[in-house]
Amino acid sequence: MGRLAGGAPSLLDAVRGVHWPARRISGGAIHGAHPSKRAGASPEFSEYRPYQQGDDPARIDWKLFGRTERVAIRLARDDSRLPTTVLLDASASMAYPPASLDKWELAAAVALGLAAVAHGDGDPIGFATPPPGSVVPPRTRRGTVGHILQLLLQTAPAGRAPLAPLLATLRSSRRIAIVSDFLGDADELLEQARELAAGGREIYAIHVVAREELDPTPPPRQTVVTDPEDPSIRRALDKSAIPLYQDAFARWRESLAVAWRGAGAVYALATTGEAPERVVRRVVRS
Amino acid sequence: MTFLAPAFLLAGLLAAGIVLALHFIVPHEPRPAPLPTARFAPDQPVRAQTRALRPRDLGLLAMRVGLLLAVGAALAGPQVSLRRPRRTLARILLVDRSRAVAQAGEAADSARARYAAGDAVVLFDSGATTVRDQALDSLAALAARPSVPGRLSAALIAALQAASRLRETADSFELTIISPLVTEELDEATDSVRALWPGAVRLVRIAATEESPAPPAVGFDGRSDDPLRIALPPQSVAGAPGVWVRIVRGALDREDSAWARAAARVLVHWPPPAAAEPRDSSQEIIGAVIAGDVVVVAPLMRTTILAAGAGGGARVVARWVDGEPAAIDKPWGAGCIRTVAVGVPERGDLVLEPRFARFVAALVGPCGGRPALRPVEPARLVAPAGAASPRRVARRLIASPEPTTSPWATGLLLVALALAAAEPLVRRR
Repeated sequence: MGRLAGGAPSLLDAVRGVHWPARRISGGAIHGAHPSKRAGASPEFSEYRPYQQGDDPARIDWKLFGRTERVAIRLARDDSRLPTTVLLDASASMAYPPASLDKWELAAAVALGLAAVAHGDGDPIGFATPPPGSVVPPRTRRGTVGHILQLLLQTAPAGRAPLAPLLATLRSSRRIAIVSDFLGDADELLEQARELAAGGREIYAIHVVAREELDPTPPPRQTVVTDPEDPSIRRALDKSAIPLYQDAFARWRESLAVAWRGAGAVYALATTGEAPERVVRRVVRS
Repeated sequence: MTFLAPAFLLAGLLAAGIVLALHFIVPHEPRPAPLPTARFAPDQPVRAQTRALRPRDLGLLAMRVGLLLAVGAALAGPQVSLRRPRRTLARILLVDRSRAVAQAGEAADSARARYAAGDAVVLFDSGATTVRDQALDSLAALAARPSVPGRLSAALIAALQAASRLRETADSFELTIISPLVTEELDEATDSVRALWPGAVRLVRIAATEESPAPPAVGFDGRSDDPLRIALPPQSVAGAPGVWVRIVRGALDREDSAWARAAARVLVHWPPPAAAEPRDSSQEIIGAVIAGDVVVVAPLMRTTILAAGAGGGARVVARWVDGEPAAIDKPWGAGCIRTVAVGVPERGDLVLEPRFARFVAALVGPCGGRPALRPVEPARLVAPAGAASPRRVARRLIASPEPTTSPWATGLLLVALALAAAEPLVRRR
């Protein structure tokens, strides 16, 4: 986790000001950054916030622009908060490649970035990893993002604990971001997410893939590869098998994306090598 | 370094070679690599491949090979000789000092002329004594033992033992016999023992003692009408000069003993039956008695039981037909005392018969029996296999000395044990 520890400040700095708007009109009674269903009462001005990419242009205060040539949106007390939980897969398949752990580093950074963005929006932010990991209920207190960073630094990907049971416990969150490679209990997780989405939650599926998984280096001669979470899965991989592997993997990714979108979730593919802040921005803009 | 059982070393080398080949030749399944998306690879059979050695494999291979070699070498019984480099030739000199040697000085001179430091000298008569240190001093003090016959068989056995002890000191060995080589020095075992020496033998013939053709003058101490007188050679008074055989029919006294001890003389104590100790209160009549090649078949009385005894150098001169000794010699100073338990009949004409006279002549011979000093044709001894046998015998043909426990074997076994304990640890790593 060396890179996350060193890169956290720059990551947090890069996502400062990024907003993660709700995809739906929030029914929440707690005032936040998201449009509320509440009607009738005049919106009480709360504050101005500089316009950022992703904000609804209709919310730009043009009078302020005329006066000050500042582009800002007007926040009113009627905006609701969206409790958000980031669910991070910490299974053994995330510890890849073994030497650099690029998948885990990217996943952890994206999780931290999303938490920071949501926290910046004033939304209660929580964090969860499967047992023996941690569960932090959504909160808005000041040190929450730092706490999440500490938990990330203390977590090492291992084991094969399923995500679906943990997802089932996050019903209090209105928005759930699942950061995973979906190589574990993908079907059960999808089913649980579908249920939550049907109940009005916003589900985000951030699929983390390593470049080495997308495009393995052709071995000079036949190599035996094995699933770190299931050693019974052993395959012979040589030059002739790589195109078949890539084709199968691509088809699976495509079907996964279709399934998650069909469940009402936002699906985003994050590949190692991509800057985590770019992934964050891509996710929150979806 | 030599090995007592080199077959074990060869077996260890062979096993090590097999392990070496297995490391390189036997195909192994490739070591698996982690890939979380392995399930998407086609399920095709894994082809075993010959693996290239990695640096840590070399260590494991060296450990296994070393273990097998250490065990093989330990079981092979390594013998490390820390002595000085081997000589080209070492001699074993068999020097005769028996009664067959006319001049002991001649034997000593012949031996000194051939002796070199590190050679073995075996002095032999009826027995053999190996001299390695101060051999020249022993040769200088060499004196023939006129009453003791030589036995070449004992000398040859001593020579074989000496060669075995000298095996690591020379590349080849030569056996030299310095002797008159007469008939009485050979026995039934001589040919068999000689066959154990894998090569020809050098013979340095020295002068033999002259065999006296005339029977010795015999002193007789007994009755004037003793029937034994009839069978004896010309007799003299017991104490006359030139007499070296004395027959005493009565009890021996101190003067008799002193007479025998003083020179190479034979004191024959031949008590008649009346004076003999009864055996179980009765004396037996035995039908025949043998002395050398002379057999007398007659009802003769065994006057007493003689015990040849262990030690003391007693020698049986005559035997009854039932195997019991009839006459025995016991060394006595320079001479010997011969006790005869054959009763001479007072009546009858047995004492007149020539065969009895020959029997008596055998019993009045010199100590150790009448010498058979006829020279032996040396061919059967020098080169039994003919001219093909080399005189110089290679070291490898000499029997190894008795094996002793080698500290090297213990050390090698400990090394093997340590390697065996470490191998699993390295393998797991």
